[in-house]
Amino acid sequence: MAIGTLAPPLDAAAGAERSAERSRAWRKLVRNPAALAGAFVLLVVIAAAGFAPYVAPQDPTRQSLIRRFTPPIWAEGGTAAYPLGTDQVGRDILSRIIHGARVSLIVGVSAVVVSLLVGVTLGLLSGFLHGRVDTAIMTVVDVTLSFPQLLLALAFVAALGPSLLTIIVVLGLTGWERYTRVVRAEVLALREKDFIEAARAMGASPARLVLRHVLPNTFSSIIVMSTLQVAQAILQEAALSFLGVGTGSAYPTWGNMIALGRDFVSVAWWLPTFPGLAILLTVLAINLVGDRLRDALDPRIG
Amino acid sequence: MKRWALLATVLSLVALATVPTPARAQAKDTLTVALVSHAPTLDPHMHFERVGILVNINMFDSLIHRNTKLEFEPSLATSWKPLSDTQWEFKLRKGVRFHNGETMSGEDVKYSFDRVLDQTKKSPQYGNIRAIKDVRVVNPETVHIFTDKPFPLLLERLVFFPIVPKKHVETVGDQAFGTTSPVGTGPWKFVEWKRDQFIRLEAFDQHWRGRPAFKHLVIRAIPEIATQVAEIKTGGVDIIRNVSADLVPELKTHPQAYISSTPILRVHYVELDMRSAPFDKKAVRQAANYAIDKQTIIQKLMAGLGRQAATTVQPMAFGFDPEVKPYAYDPKKAKELLAQAGYPNGVDITLHSAFIEFRPVFEALSQMLTEVGIRTNPRMWDPGPAWNKFLQTEGKATNGYYGSWGNYSVFDADAVLHPLYHTEPGGWIGKWYTRIEGLDRLIDEARSTVDQPRRKRTYSQIQQMIREEAPAIFLWTQFDTLAISKKVQYAARGDEWLWLFDAKPAAR
Amino acid sequence: MLTLLARRVVRLVVVLAGVSLVTFAILHVSGDPVSLMMPEAPEADRAALRQAMGFNDPLALQFGRFVRNIARGDFGQSFFHREPALPLVLHRMPTTLLLAVLAMGLSLGVAVPVGILSAVRRNSLFDHGATFAVFLGTSMPVFWTGIMLILLLAVQLRVLPVSGWESWAALVLPTLTLATFSTPLLLRIVRSSMLDVINLDYVRTARAKGVSEWFVICRHALINAALPLVTVAGLQFGLLLGGAVITETVFAVPGVGRLIVGAIRQLDFPIVQAGVFLLALIVVLVNFAVDMLYIYLNPQIRVR
Repeated sequence: MAIGTLAPPLDAAAGAERSAERSRAWRKLVRNPAALAGAFVLLVVIAAAGFAPYVAPQDPTRQSLIRRFTPPIWAEGGTAAYPLGTDQVGRDILSRIIHGARVSLIVGVSAVVVSLLVGVTLGLLSGFLHGRVDTAIMTVVDVTLSFPQLLLALAFVAALGPSLLTIIVVLGLTGWERYTRVVRAEVLALREKDFIEAARAMGASPARLVLRHVLPNTFSSIIVMSTLQVAQAILQEAALSFLGVGTGSAYPTWGNMIALGRDFVSVAWWLPTFPGLAILLTVLAINLVGDRLRDALDPRIG
Repeated sequence: MKRWALLATVLSLVALATVPTPARAQAKDTLTVALVSHAPTLDPHMHFERVGILVNINMFDSLIHRNTKLEFEPSLATSWKPLSDTQWEFKLRKGVRFHNGETMSGEDVKYSFDRVLDQTKKSPQYGNIRAIKDVRVVNPETVHIFTDKPFPLLLERLVFFPIVPKKHVETVGDQAFGTTSPVGTGPWKFVEWKRDQFIRLEAFDQHWRGRPAFKHLVIRAIPEIATQVAEIKTGGVDIIRNVSADLVPELKTHPQAYISSTPILRVHYVELDMRSAPFDKKAVRQAANYAIDKQTIIQKLMAGLGRQAATTVQPMAFGFDPEVKPYAYDPKKAKELLAQAGYPNGVDITLHSAFIEFRPVFEALSQMLTEVGIRTNPRMWDPGPAWNKFLQTEGKATNGYYGSWGNYSVFDADAVLHPLYHTEPGGWIGKWYTRIEGLDRLIDEARSTVDQPRRKRTYSQIQQMIREEAPAIFLWTQFDTLAISKKVQYAARGDEWLWLFDAKPAAR
Repeated sequence: MLTLLARRVVRLVVVLAGVSLVTFAILHVSGDPVSLMMPEAPEADRAALRQAMGFNDPLALQFGRFVRNIARGDFGQSFFHREPALPLVLHRMPTTLLLAVLAMGLSLGVAVPVGILSAVRRNSLFDHGATFAVFLGTSMPVFWTGIMLILLLAVQLRVLPVSGWESWAALVLPTLTLATFSTPLLLRIVRSSMLDVINLDYVRTARAKGVSEWFVICRHALINAALPLVTVAGLQFGLLLGGAVITETVFAVPGVGRLIVGAIRQLDFPIVQAGVFLLALIVVLVNFAVDMLYIYLNPQIRVR
């Protein structure tokens, strides 16, 4: 009841406009072959990650010293049991890639979730509370941006010890600024339209403002940024593995497969190449989809 | 428009100022070696890193040298004899020149020892020669070394104890000596050091052994193994070390390079935590030893470049007893012992390793342990802060760690037994883990006499005791594997040294 | 204008303080450098060293000491090199900067022409092909790109040296590797800025007047693209410095990144602090320069 008379008409108008925008965007997206291909690849990856134990032909951690460095099936010495060959302790590469999809995606998505939680919250606080809080938060943003991101991640992981959780937290904490900026900008824009004052006068709670106005308007930017950040997180996990501070366990991630396999590239090229391809295709797909998504949601481009 | 031009000019000037200097052509008289890094200083007394030692031995001489058969050979000392249990006499070589022209004498020898024994200088090598009480110059060609107790390792320690020029170091100061003007008596003299890039050395014409075959020696710092391998294949580098066993087949038959490999002291083991379950029970520790198929790992994962070890005392070290036999591979017995100890359904443990090059080995042996019922969670740590935390909590986070020990090239059982097992403070990690009744006493007995036969008997006793008690999963000793360009003739040494004086251009 | 400048300078100082605080905090939380410095020494010796180096003082006190010192330009002695940390870092800084600047230069050199062409021939094979090729570079981990380039160009084709920093030829591979990282985004910006202007009225008018089409396109497009390009390039510079860490390790380049990575592993506080501080300083200065450039290029803001 306290919601008042002002909100519904604006809500309705804004809502209608947004859904029209979204269906236009969807149509633009679907028409683009690159984006479609990318989306398909992503579906495959997600499915592999989800159904890994059922899809993978072997146990990804099972070793077989006799079978180490078996080449892929089409090369001399390859067998059907190990279609993409085996690694330095005889584990099946294909199964490791399928299971690795799981960890890589978990790392990517979780890092983004952490970033979103931190970034959006700080953006909201910054915009609504303005004044000192705003300045403080924006300074923290500047500080975070000034750090060479990889060095920050390296220092944290080295300090806390390598583990999946640490990597997720660290990657999440080095990517939140972009969301803060966007959300804050949106809140400031609404403030400029005196929207917030008016709504508050009507008794609308901040929560409703956030849910009904701020977030929906930033939705498209956030979606695009998150998809790109997932790609970035997957690559960063690989970089951290290369520097020796990966997840530290025997469970495969694409990043640590490449990092650990790179020394053997001259005797067993399949070791780092296939996970490299996996990352390549996934990140490429994410970039293509995310890129077209950005184009599609941007009303400026004809 | 003008502003852009100005900006462009400024940027170009800045760029030119940082332009890398073009390298000298890869001449036939230059030997290029790759290490993963440089030591923080060229001062041979102020670091204790293998990469530093490898550079130092080519620039500085010690009193005693080891030949390729690993026997003692006169170096700066031409002869030596014990005058008593705690006093040795060394006769010095005449007419040895330092790189700056000065002549080496007893004063320099005394000065070298004094600066390491001087605790205010904080030399990391202090612990190794702590037993030396005093060095006296009897005359310019004779010095006496006094130890506070009988010190059987004295000669061993003198093989790497570089002699530095007293006058020069006092003139330029310790800092400059280690960075811009290191001067020694070795086969090569210092030319330049570009940090993180290379150390350039030039043959010393007045070296007492004669001139080395190569006029120039360049030691590059290349941290990435794949890059080192690429360099040796393209001829950018002539020698690389620590070649992984898996790369050996390829490099052995490569048109540009060949492999030289030899057994060394470095022994591998998994030190087990005897303070807590399950490794507080001897049966479980022995079961772990029976569970590992060492031969298969050596053949399959190490290209055969390894030798099974019965205990942590290496075959090449004095005191080794060949009568003590390694644990056989017997998974059935392992399971029985496990059940006897009260773990019929197996047990879960965590093992730790910071040994990145041997990661596949670590994973393989974890698998073997799991197969007999000791379900292992293998954790790899990057050496650094996380490893440091592990050290600080006295290793309580894990049931055992995979380590290796090279004795710092001292071919004596004491050099592995004392640091690894003696419970007095100081020494290497894993000291917290081992609790064997009577072991301390035996180790002390063996190191406080110079009567070699008696020491040998004590060491036999110790090895039997250790084998029975199994404070570690005993593994193997490894080989040192070098990849060398076909243009160079050199062979790997059993003490892991790169004694490049012996390197020669290959006969055409 | 002056107040703008003053405000930016204040922000610079505050950000640097924040950066030092974070670095200080991470390192002190992570472990005991004395154990790594003297792993074999008895605990008594180590405790004595800890006391002597002031590690037992309360953190606030240590931080205060740290800030006062850096105001004097003193970052302390490196624990491992036993030399002042700042000169060690400064010595290597030009190398890393050169690498980053060259990579940025290469990126711009590719992004601008390709971006313009992509926009002009929108949705053509060239456009899709260029997008694809350039995204390829950004979809591989940097170290993997580097290793692949070494294998292809240095080992297989023998046209370039594998590693090092000793000749102009040795600069090529690391620069190329790093540039694959930053080119895509810059290309997108050039392309979309181009698309913004290409249909604008004044462009059509100019065409109608018979002015050379290319001239019109490039001039207007570049002006329009300049703003976002400059902003993003500034941000990218920070990322490039981070990517340089990996590239320096793969190609054995004697830069700051490699030094800091080694120092992090050894808990060599002074070097990590000096290095990270200086890198942050550079990033902030670059962003500052970018801000100023932005204001200069965008008359609207100047007027406000």
